Amino acid sequence: MTTTKSRPAPEPPADPEEPRIPDPIALDALATAAPRQEYFGFDIVPPPDRPPQTEREVEVYTLGDGEMLVNMGPQHPSTHGVMRLVVKVRGEVVIDIDPVLGYLHRGIEKLCEEATYTTVLTYVDPMDYMSAMHNEHAPAIAFEKLYGITAPRRAEYIRALVVELNRVFSHGLMMGFLALDIGGLTPILYGFINRDEVVEMLAAISGQRMLFNFFRVGGVNFDTNDEFMNRLGRWRANVLDNVEMNEKILTENEIFRARTRGMGTLTAKQAIDLGVSGPNLRASGVPFDVRKAHPYCIYNELEFDVITHPEGDTYARYMQRIAELKQSIHLIDQIVDKMPHGPVQAQVPGIIRPRPGRAYAAIESPRGLYSVYAISDGGPNPYRFRMRDPSFISLQVMPKLMPGHLIADTMAIMASLDPIMGGVDK
Amino acid sequence: MGHVCRPGSGPAILGRRRALSAPAAAGPLVRLLSDRLADAASELWTDEDTVEIQVPRDKIVDSLRTLRDDADFGFFFLADAAAVDYGVGNWFEVVYHLYSDRHPTWLRVRVKVDRENPVTPTITSLWEGAMFHEREMYDMMGIVFEGNRDLRRIYMSPDYRSFPQRKDFLLPDDAADSAAAGNKPLERPETWDLSKLQDAAAHRDEPEGQV
Amino acid sequence: MAITTPPKADEPIVIPDAAGDDPLLGEFGMENHPQGGFHGLLEVIPTRADYILDLIRANSLWPLLSGLSCCAIEMMSTATSVNDIDRFGMFPFRASPRQADVLIVAGTLTTKMAGPLVRLWAQMPEPKWCVAMGTCTTSGGRFKRSYSVVQGVDRVMPVDVYVPGCPPRPEGLIYGLMKLQELVKQRRGQWGTYADRGPDLRSWEGDVR
Repeated sequence: MTTTKSRPAPEPPADPEEPRIPDPIALDALATAAPRQEYFGFDIVPPPDRPPQTEREVEVYTLGDGEMLVNMGPQHPSTHGVMRLVVKVRGEVVIDIDPVLGYLHRGIEKLCEEATYTTVLTYVDPMDYMSAMHNEHAPAIAFEKLYGITAPRRAEYIRALVVELNRVFSHGLMMGFLALDIGGLTPILYGFINRDEVVEMLAAISGQRMLFNFFRVGGVNFDTNDEFMNRLGRWRANVLDNVEMNEKILTENEIFRARTRGMGTLTAKQAIDLGVSGPNLRASGVPFDVRKAHPYCIYNELEFDVITHPEGDTYARYMQRIAELKQSIHLIDQIVDKMPHGPVQAQVPGIIRPRPGRAYAAIESPRGLYSVYAISDGGPNPYRFRMRDPSFISLQVMPKLMPGHLIADTMAIMASLDPIMGGVDK
Repeated sequence: MGHVCRPGSGPAILGRRRALSAPAAAGPLVRLLSDRLADAASELWTDEDTVEIQVPRDKIVDSLRTLRDDADFGFFFLADAAAVDYGVGNWFEVVYHLYSDRHPTWLRVRVKVDRENPVTPTITSLWEGAMFHEREMYDMMGIVFEGNRDLRRIYMSPDYRSFPQRKDFLLPDDAADSAAAGNKPLERPETWDLSKLQDAAAHRDEPEGQV
Repeated sequence: MAITTPPKADEPIVIPDAAGDDPLLGEFGMENHPQGGFHGLLEVIPTRADYILDLIRANSLWPLLSGLSCCAIEMMSTATSVNDIDRFGMFPFRASPRQADVLIVAGTLTTKMAGPLVRLWAQMPEPKWCVAMGTCTTSGGRFKRSYSVVQGVDRVMPVDVYVPGCPPRPEGLIYGLMKLQELVKQRRGQWGTYADRGPDLRSWEGDVR
């Protein structure tokens, strides 16, 4: 790059008090001589500083007395995935927080505009990857509305069954992640044992452990089989005792209670204002459950109540999810009792071309209200496919809840909100 | 024998062959909308579980405030705020979905936004939870929400210079051509080669040949 | 005849000259080890120490806790009770890259995350290995046409083992990790090849496919 030319050495300043003018050629050599091709570690010439551009950015990034910015970067021991929190702290106390998202943005909505309707149902699986069945349920309902059909009753019952199974292990894992972020390493192992059992069951019915690809427009892909029913029976026999055993480790644990009670209290009004839904909202006392508010699938045939907790703190969100886990198990019992015989998939062509129109379908996922807004233009691909993910909206709660607490509590609060970055970043 | 369904073969009025979850109970809402929001709402359309209105851009904040605060409406929950691009010669649309416990249907409010100058007022004064929705709409479509205190990119890097969900942003046929193929990272602006991005609208103002 | 068993009275003492003759090397899969053979009794002890070091490394690979996406859940499932990689010595998922040996890239790598991930890789001290788990890291996977997904993590860092699947079953990941252990023992991984000639971190600008 720079060839060594003979040039006079820079002269020392005549007056020692005079400021030394840096040599531009030397500076240039510093910038270009670094072997950036071979070593990508840290930028030798740092990227240009971008001044904060919006009001809120100015608020967060201006440092007062004794404050500093700590970057809890995209890779951190908390297991929620790649999210970056820029935390402004004074000592150990959090003053303000700015979540930086987008480290997992895969452009799923744009990809879905170029895929057929059935392929869309496979693209949306890895969004909220912990509850993949819910991810598929909402678009399936929306596309059925667009196409103007209903799924057969047995298909709806199987859908509800797998969806509730998904909810069971998702809430069980939240308990494990909450404990892991606080520092307890055992409950996550229990959570994963439970998850493995359920996920093998779902693999028996759909063929896949995690990104199931089970729903179709007009029903589900496979009917239940012997292996699925065997595993379901064996799991159901033990699950209530297992759940009791697992949650007792935490619920009656002094340290856990001291770290989660009164922590991150979200009032009902704040929660509604911020768009929080699901267990986070119900733990603040608002009885809004999409399964009761706008019943979809066969939920108006099942008996269940909307559980709420009034306190709105981390402990209440944890208890809310445990209670909903048990409620889901009772729902599974009812579904298995009432399941009718019949076909499991409506006969629709492989590539469906619904009439031009718009459809909105909302379901209750383990994280909240999960909705799909689909616009069809009569062709084989959706014209616009929009997914509203609840974790994305729940993250707005953090700058309201975290200031005033210690850094170690930020993870507890975030774990209690149970975000999944795949859904946040789409 | 399979369960054979033919599309759209239900009753002509509602167009669906489904168990009605909101039979004719959307009536009160339709009447309320025609009474209270007659000047703002237009093109009312109803499905069995959704009522849809279109509101012009300058009246959207007041309309949503009425919908939220009025006791008969009671749409306290903003379920979704989405942006739709209807094509290069057409317009954008911002679509709000609202939930009320007093009415059994969803309410969809559509706001038409000009594509050449995509500016619309923000609703973060009504629902603070709309902040992330608006940031996402700005990032993906380029719609500017005036009054929003924090309108910056949320998914893409802050220096990204395109709007992916617009209809003139084309996904490459071959992934190897895309900017995401690893040739040039988008995080380091001095190494960008954006000549392969076919986003005419974003680069409209740049001098020819220079990116 | 192993060096550790004493020769019998009437058997000639044979000193194996090539790596292929030595049963001890063969037992550990070390025939192809660049330093596995020896040409004299005095070289025995230091050269044995080298591949015992490799054996130690193989059985105590500490992964970096860097799950990006769905594969991370399956990685955690591999690490926990039912499919246990603690029996391979891989239980401690280190949070800090300075203490980790293996970077299991589990999940989709996006252009925004690629910078931090390469920075993590550069911070890991050698010897280090990389496992690309799942199809998103192998080749971009189901997000082949996306505008923000890096089409395979080998565009930004050298990879030793590719584990396909979406997500791979825990048994699949364990198979991949066992293959990695073989690589470690035989010094066939990326580190083994560049330990002699210096690091070969692929830069952003240089790698065009």
